[in-house]
Amino acid sequence: MTIATAVHSPLVVKDLKVYYHTRRGPVKAVDGVSFELHRGERLGLVGESGSGKSTIALALMMAHKEPARIEGGSIILNGSNVLDDNSEQVRLRRLSEIAMVPQGALNSLNPVMRIRDQVIDGLKDHNVNMSDGEFANRVAELLESVGLHRDVASRFPHELSGGMKQRVSIAIAISMNPSVIVADEPTSALDVVVQKQVVQTLRDVQERIGAAAIMIGHDMGLMAQFASRIGIMYGGKIVEIGPVSHIFKNPKHPYTRLLISSLPDTRSKRRLEGIPGLPPSLLRPPPGCIFHTRCPDAMDICRQEIPPTREIDALRYAACHLYGDDDGKVVDL
Amino acid sequence: MANMDTTALEPQLPSSYDVTVFEEETRWVKVSGAIRRNVLLFAGSLLILAIVLFAVAGSLIIDEKRTEVGFAHAERETADGSIKEVVAPRLKPSGEFWFGTDQFARDIFAYVAYGTLGTLWMGLIAGIIGIGIGTLLGFIGGYFGGWLDAVIVVLSDALITIPGLMLLITISAYLDQLTVEQLGILIGVISWMGTTRVVRAQVLTLKNRAYVEVSKFNGQGDMEIVVSELIPNLAPFIAAAFVGAVAGAILLSIGLSALGLGPQNEPSLGLMAFWFIRFGAVPQGMWWWFGPPIVVIAIFIVGLFMVTAGLDQIANPRLRTSV
Repeated sequence: MTIATAVHSPLVVKDLKVYYHTRRGPVKAVDGVSFELHRGERLGLVGESGSGKSTIALALMMAHKEPARIEGGSIILNGSNVLDDNSEQVRLRRLSEIAMVPQGALNSLNPVMRIRDQVIDGLKDHNVNMSDGEFANRVAELLESVGLHRDVASRFPHELSGGMKQRVSIAIAISMNPSVIVADEPTSALDVVVQKQVVQTLRDVQERIGAAAIMIGHDMGLMAQFASRIGIMYGGKIVEIGPVSHIFKNPKHPYTRLLISSLPDTRSKRRLEGIPGLPPSLLRPPPGCIFHTRCPDAMDICRQEIPPTREIDALRYAACHLYGDDDGKVVDL
Repeated sequence: MANMDTTALEPQLPSSYDVTVFEEETRWVKVSGAIRRNVLLFAGSLLILAIVLFAVAGSLIIDEKRTEVGFAHAERETADGSIKEVVAPRLKPSGEFWFGTDQFARDIFAYVAYGTLGTLWMGLIAGIIGIGIGTLLGFIGGYFGGWLDAVIVVLSDALITIPGLMLLITISAYLDQLTVEQLGILIGVISWMGTTRVVRAQVLTLKNRAYVEVSKFNGQGDMEIVVSELIPNLAPFIAAAFVGAVAGAILLSIGLSALGLGPQNEPSLGLMAFWFIRFGAVPQGMWWWFGPPIVVIAIFIVGLFMVTAGLDQIANPRLRTSV
């Protein structure tokens, strides 16, 4: 990573390690994850439960709690490392530089406050000084930008549907034009039609303010609709990352391949295959490649050595022993 | 049905949600609706308001002299046939003394008005102090946790086992003379534990709600979260606890005063109870002496508990009978 890329990339995550400290030892929920987000880019992070997706989201917001601790790496947000900030600096950077769209299933709005006040609260906490009229205009503008009527400002959360509430959450997240939006399963617990609308709304506002976005989830269909690049997570690591169409058409990592083949296809009738086995223990991860216990292509070397990440083709990186120096050079992301 | 038009099957997604605009209700419809929804709260508030009005208006209008010993005089015929004005205790209710006079020739109506005011004032002081301490400690313990929380929990759990009346009897036995204000402060200081436990428990559950987490993601600090996220959600609980605390403090003070350990120099309903018990108002059949304070206390306490129940319906939607 050069200084030049740091300026152009609002977010650079380098070798991030987040461990949950338990009595039996550290659980390596996120173990050496690196990625870079460019301006206006949308990255999707997919993976099964326990692969560390949500832990990454929490760590990016610096909202991880004991027993989780960031053990190493760096999170460079707009050119400076968040891990070096004190708690007040972290607080001020939330919403203004990096904003979170919470899970749709959660009651993320305060039940006893009107929508208007909840939107304004975030602005006031970042010392935004406006007159009451200006605040009202800003709230109306934000609500309309996510496809809501401006009258929603005077409503209470219980008067809104799930999709409308999630739109309000998006409006709050973009209220200070952050450079990074983190969306952790923003459409969980919404029905499919509303899911599509909410994701589209998120995409529209993200493009309008030119922010980079990370969406976390396991709905591959929504990911394909939203993301420009997809990172596949397994056992706390990103095993493959690349442009969304390449990942779907030509998966390189065996786990990605199995994941794609487990998706239903409307065009062809075939038996759906699952991935045999269970996710590995992150307390005592298997030696070598973390996926070798379930990998149909596992070789001897997989049980001994951790595979390096290689650039298989343009912008496509995978960590697998199936690929040698002929297929792509080893990169340090 | 060949060549079916498939475009009609595609969902028509609205570009923005329509918001139903309800017709503005008139003020009276709103007020009457609110009363209908919470009869208990409304009726209880009326009872309390009546008592407060009686105490405040009574003590403003009536001369305080009428509560002094030996105030009431009446004309009596002496042995030699002449008419003389003498001190008149134990008078039945009349046009001049609405509730009659007591053993010491005090005007009972005036005394009840002043006594009610003193008792309410004492309850208010005790309620504010008790709820203030209780809420503050509950928030500190519940929100910040850690060793401070441990100290608060141990302290409140230990103190809650000591009966308030016993503690008060011990303390007031050492104090020479209590004023109404001092008794209020004393009761407040020993009655915060229940509130602390309730508030702490509520804060513990509230602080893990998603919207509190989200406001952290949105860069709110601890104080802003307490003020704008937690307190509005806890307001009905705190209001209900406050009403309960005032009722409890009044009952406690009456108990203490009836034992003769409360303030002796200022009129209060409890002190009245002390005197009418001591001078045998009941065996003497002086219903106009023991009746009024009991009625006032009963109305006030019933009113307070109706308000508590009404507030509970607001705080706990499952108790509501209609939406």
